[in-house]
Amino acid sequence: MKNTTDIAVESIGLSKNYGTVTALKSVDLKIASGQYYVLLGPSGGGKTTLLRLIGGFLRPTNGQIYLHGHDVSNVPPNLRPTSMVFQSYALFPHMTVAGNVGYGLKLKKLPSAEIAEKVVAMLSLVGLSGFEDRLPHELSGGQQQRVQLARALVLESDVILLDEPLAALDAKLRKDMCFELKQIQEQVGITFVHVTHNQEEAMTIADRIAIIADGELIEEGTPQDIYREPVKRFTAGFIGENNIVDGKVTAVKGTQAKVDVGSTTIAANSRSKNLSVGDQVAVSIRSELCRILGENEKNVRNVQKIPATYVEEFFLGLTVSHLVRLKTGADMIVRESSDRAGTSEFSEGDDIYLAWELGDARLHTS
Amino acid sequence: MIRTNKTQVGGGRTILASPTFFGRLFGDNGLQKYLFYLPAIFMVVFFLIPTLLTIVWSFFERTLFWMEPGFTFFSYINFFTSARFDNFLSSMFHSGISVIICFILGFPIAVFVRRHVPQVAQHRVILLFILPFMVSEIIRTFMLRPVLGRNGLVNTFLQKLGIISEPITSILFTPLGVIIGEVMSFLPFIVFAGFLAMEAVPKYIFEVCQDLGASRWRVFVDIIVPLAAPGIFAGGVFIFVNGLGVALIPNILGGPGAVNAGLIATQAISALDFPLAMAVSAIMMITLLGLLFVGHRLFNLTRILEPIA
Repeated sequence: MKNTTDIAVESIGLSKNYGTVTALKSVDLKIASGQYYVLLGPSGGGKTTLLRLIGGFLRPTNGQIYLHGHDVSNVPPNLRPTSMVFQSYALFPHMTVAGNVGYGLKLKKLPSAEIAEKVVAMLSLVGLSGFEDRLPHELSGGQQQRVQLARALVLESDVILLDEPLAALDAKLRKDMCFELKQIQEQVGITFVHVTHNQEEAMTIADRIAIIADGELIEEGTPQDIYREPVKRFTAGFIGENNIVDGKVTAVKGTQAKVDVGSTTIAANSRSKNLSVGDQVAVSIRSELCRILGENEKNVRNVQKIPATYVEEFFLGLTVSHLVRLKTGADMIVRESSDRAGTSEFSEGDDIYLAWELGDARLHTS
Repeated sequence: MIRTNKTQVGGGRTILASPTFFGRLFGDNGLQKYLFYLPAIFMVVFFLIPTLLTIVWSFFERTLFWMEPGFTFFSYINFFTSARFDNFLSSMFHSGISVIICFILGFPIAVFVRRHVPQVAQHRVILLFILPFMVSEIIRTFMLRPVLGRNGLVNTFLQKLGIISEPITSILFTPLGVIIGEVMSFLPFIVFAGFLAMEAVPKYIFEVCQDLGASRWRVFVDIIVPLAAPGIFAGGVFIFVNGLGVALIPNILGGPGAVNAGLIATQAISALDFPLAMAVSAIMMITLLGLLFVGHRLFNLTRILEPIA
């Protein structure tokens, strides 16, 4: 990852309405040059709209888009320094691989020898040397997407936009293609903006992730930040597997807040938020940082705990999940490595405590 | 609702257990099995046999009112050594021009409907092109006479505007009149064929082209036409064959120099020269087969029937 302050893509107050439907509400986003940037969010959240606005396939209702400092809000796609990789295997079915990759250059009226040279170089970059004369229907899904990538890269655009490029691939192939995309991006060093609803894909590939939902940019940061220290409750609910309890602040003391979660009161770091008594907040704890304490362990110190009832255990291969139910009726998950897990010492209906270290809980005000 | 369904399923089982009269008659082992042969029998009796007879009869000897078995090339020699052959060639040429004009006028309509008309309305718009068929083709063709004639709409209009001083007489009863008539009659077919052919052009292609910066013309030439080629060819052949074979249009709009193969055959029948009429039909058939062979080699026509991958 290049550490540069050069901003490749910037949107200011960007919004898009379709009639009375708002697809995107005033998004401010900055994407540094040379980054692999992922727009992650649930379907229909506006992430594809944002990508299409960047690519110029849509006109913004309000706001501006800058690419390397130039306002391109009203510039058509072909005149923007962006190239798009589409979700479907969007190749020209009647053209060979070489024909597909070289078509953009042909439109730019480059001499055919130069086109051939660039096509060969680009196909070798995406690992498809020797596939020049194949037709799209003779390629696998992954290969077709690589041809699309080559077709975008060969134009030497500043920004490559990828609209769910791996969505149609099966899970194993998607994982391989993730690594490959990342490697290619590092090799060429240009900015990639990648839309996906798959958080594993986003975690694998991204330098930075923006969470987009309900037409808003919820939160943005490195995959580590977003996973470990989500600011927003939505992020905690969307990324990873978090146990979230809602409650009301009953006391604030220094950096610590007491939160009434119904059946008990727990403590959480206020994370330098200005809290006052009576505020509605949520506390989230990653499921792998939670543990279960039996009735006989209730005096263990230095942990936060909520009384709960044990429900059942699920074997998931790498991990084992234990489902527990709080007195409020909310279901919580405790996850542990399946090698560490013996046969569960608890059985259905046992009174237990859901427990975690104070520092593992994150307090969300929104 | 669910109860009703269950009863129906039960009823079906009952039929299987003890077949009723109709069950036995139309069941899997009854007449149903032979029902599928019905169209085949129809095609053999009313198409294949007459077609073969056409070829056989074209070699028969002509008699005063009918023909008698024999083997002679007389009809073919008669055809190829007379003005009929020149007329046949020029009608092929004129049909070709009709095909090109139909393509230029009709295919953009198909592209437009596919691209810019909302999905739900597309088929309705295409159905509009069936409307002309509600009027008899004879009437439709005949209606062109008062339009194209010496004192017709076109001439009157142009004279009133002062563009011409004398009426143009070279429209009606000339090849031009026939071409206009053919385009009018056959334009819907290229719209239908083009509309179906556009199914082979995926929608995403247009966004890709937009991103790569392809002009409308380049998209048309590089992408749409090659992908839609089999369908366009099929529509083109259909128009070409009709232009060659439908006697009605040159009969009403053509003159001495604007005769097509269909009209030659019709005239031969009127003159009671049945072997000649058969020979003309056989030659048309062979021309068509040749065209289809070339088309198949160029575009692989089976692609029209394949679903889009």
